[in-house]
Amino acid sequence: MPAIVARQERCPLCGMEFDAEGQGCRPSCPLARGCRVICCPGCGYSYPQETGLAGKLRGLLERRRARGEGSR
Amino acid sequence: MTPPESSARAEPRLERKQVVAGARSLILVGNPNVGKSVVFGALTGKYVTVSNYPGTTVEVTRGSATLRGEPWHVMDTPGTNNLLPMSEDEQVTRDILLVERGCVCLQVCDAKNLRRGLLLSAQLAEAQVPFLLALNMADEAATRGIRIDAERLSRELGVDVVPTVAVQRVGLAAVADRIAKARPSGFLPRYDEAIEEALGDILPLMPSRAGLGRRALAIMALVGDESLRAHLAASLTEADLARIDAVRRRVAARYPESLRFVIARQRLVAVDRLHDAVVSRGGVSGAGRLGRQLGAWSTHPVLGVPVLAAVLFACYEFVGVFGAKTAVDFLENEVFYRRLVPWLDALVRWAVPAGRIQEFLVGPAGVPFREHAGFLVGKYGLFSMGLSYGMAIVLPIVATFFVAFSVLEDSGYLPRLAVMVNRVFKRMGLNGKAVLPMVLGLGCDTMATMTARIMETRKERIIVTLLLALGVPCSAQLAVIFAMLAGVSPGAAAWFGVSILAVLFVVGWLAARVIPGRGSDFMLELPPLRVPQAGNVAVKTLARIEWYLREALPLFLLGTLILWGLDRVHGLDLLERAAAPVVVGWLDLPKEAASAFILGFLRRDYAAAGLFAHYEPFMKAGTMTREMNIEVTVALVTVTLFIPCIANFFMILKERGWKTGAAIAAFILPFSVGAGALVNALMRHLY
Repeated sequence: MPAIVARQERCPLCGMEFDAEGQGCRPSCPLARGCRVICCPGCGYSYPQETGLAGKLRGLLERRRARGEGSR
Repeated sequence: MTPPESSARAEPRLERKQVVAGARSLILVGNPNVGKSVVFGALTGKYVTVSNYPGTTVEVTRGSATLRGEPWHVMDTPGTNNLLPMSEDEQVTRDILLVERGCVCLQVCDAKNLRRGLLLSAQLAEAQVPFLLALNMADEAATRGIRIDAERLSRELGVDVVPTVAVQRVGLAAVADRIAKARPSGFLPRYDEAIEEALGDILPLMPSRAGLGRRALAIMALVGDESLRAHLAASLTEADLARIDAVRRRVAARYPESLRFVIARQRLVAVDRLHDAVVSRGGVSGAGRLGRQLGAWSTHPVLGVPVLAAVLFACYEFVGVFGAKTAVDFLENEVFYRRLVPWLDALVRWAVPAGRIQEFLVGPAGVPFREHAGFLVGKYGLFSMGLSYGMAIVLPIVATFFVAFSVLEDSGYLPRLAVMVNRVFKRMGLNGKAVLPMVLGLGCDTMATMTARIMETRKERIIVTLLLALGVPCSAQLAVIFAMLAGVSPGAAAWFGVSILAVLFVVGWLAARVIPGRGSDFMLELPPLRVPQAGNVAVKTLARIEWYLREALPLFLLGTLILWGLDRVHGLDLLERAAAPVVVGWLDLPKEAASAFILGFLRRDYAAAGLFAHYEPFMKAGTMTREMNIEVTVALVTVTLFIPCIANFFMILKERGWKTGAAIAAFILPFSVGAGALVNALMRHLY
């Protein structure tokens, strides 16, 4: 099954915020197992969820931004 | 923004958990994902019923609440962006408002996304429904520097506006206080003269006892909302219905776009004016104004074209020149062939004693790897071919493409590109609703095939699936196409572009004739253009590269394994001989292209990568002949139109069934080869 992390996502195309749970690749795709592509329920745009290394990088950038704002 | 009236702790307890027969109905409406259900839960408590709306599979939640001593029947409707329904969910919300009389609405809107909420407010105003506007997620909006002048918004709309943070129950007491005082809004967008005149003709015919006001009903009737017809037929005569149709046809003839689109666009102008008057963001700079201007140009029917051309040219230069030449050259030759392949070769020869196993893995010593059949290092070696295709040829190309794509995404240009492509496709004759999967197919055809579900009839879904499988390259293939086109002459690149557009035009034109006429527009909220953030671009690109490596690399290795196996049993020769009449005879391509086409079934970019590897030395040396330019163009046209990748094919089988899937494949195979042969014949005479 898709390796989607259940969390709020914002579609880069239409800006809709949605719960990623259940929005992953469908099992009819032979590559669905472990697939991280999610599909916006509003406009259908698909994009890979920022997990794994990308998720770690996002976390790092957000921590740095928060530290920067805290020190100001 | 006006702060919520009190903190969560100071919030008086709402009187809940009382199931009473409500004297009045309170209907919660709002865009999807704005926290409507949280507000509903806070107002009604646990005792709710969930049931399908009659005749649909759409769930509607009902409950009761006692607000300031008064009993209310509360309904939570499906999220909607439009009272002119474009989906079953939206139709249910519209029908509830249509049927319920004497009700009051609580519109919950996302304060971070006020423009989208105001579009719905304007329609509630047109419907003359008494309502109250809750600006939910007010805290998040404030964090993002969005300030909303709630008092002015309240004055302009003529209804109460309350900032809320529903998850913390902030502002909900104020909402409960004011629900009973909800009133219709006087914010009525004015449309152009022709539309107002038509509305003036239709308005007197509209029933006056519906839950929605006559102006809203007249607008729905004018755009030809089929779902409203049954309601109108119950109270209008045939002659009245025919008169409405006549007015609609008369007005529709004045605009190239659908009336639904024209009305939505004009309403958006009024909403934008209101939005700009009440929303301010921390420090709008000159750059912000420039971004706004650029944003307006990028969707303009005329000015948008040069903007689109400039964006495509920048992508082409970055992906085709930097990615496909500089980065590929470095990774393929410097890293892979000069260092990694010899290192692995030496490592295996050092670790594995000389003999049959060593020869099986890395071929006989002293023979160049392209001249033997080693399993790891060899002509079709897993490492020297599979990994080098995946990591040294396609990865730098798709990585640069993903950077460009992430820049477009983060800058807010992507939705504008979708609008422009939508316009171009519509001019090409494609039916409105069919456009969305086609646009999304540029990302991933497999997911876009699933999106074809939005088409209403089986015939429409089959045609859209066919168009997707036939002519829309996915992002990875598009990247390799950019790379290949950067290596051929501009004339050959133009031949490719015109050929693919011609196929899409002809097939789209035929589809537009076969698919019944009613087109529905897709609506996207257009965020302001902004300078892309390096961090965001890096994260988005990394996410896409990770996805590519997980999905594509194993298939590249599998494809190489198949080639290696075929080579060992001399199956490749057989294959090339069998395909020679078509590949060499019709398409005038080198016989090796046959294996690239066949393995393109695993991934289309694998096929394109094989062709790229074949012609790359000539492209790099600048020794591409006229013959080679024609060959590359013909090969690219054939591969682009060729049978879809395995993932897309399985999705087609699942979504459309085995028979249809097989029929689509049976059509595409000869069609793609035929189109390639035609381009070959034409280019040899005209190029």
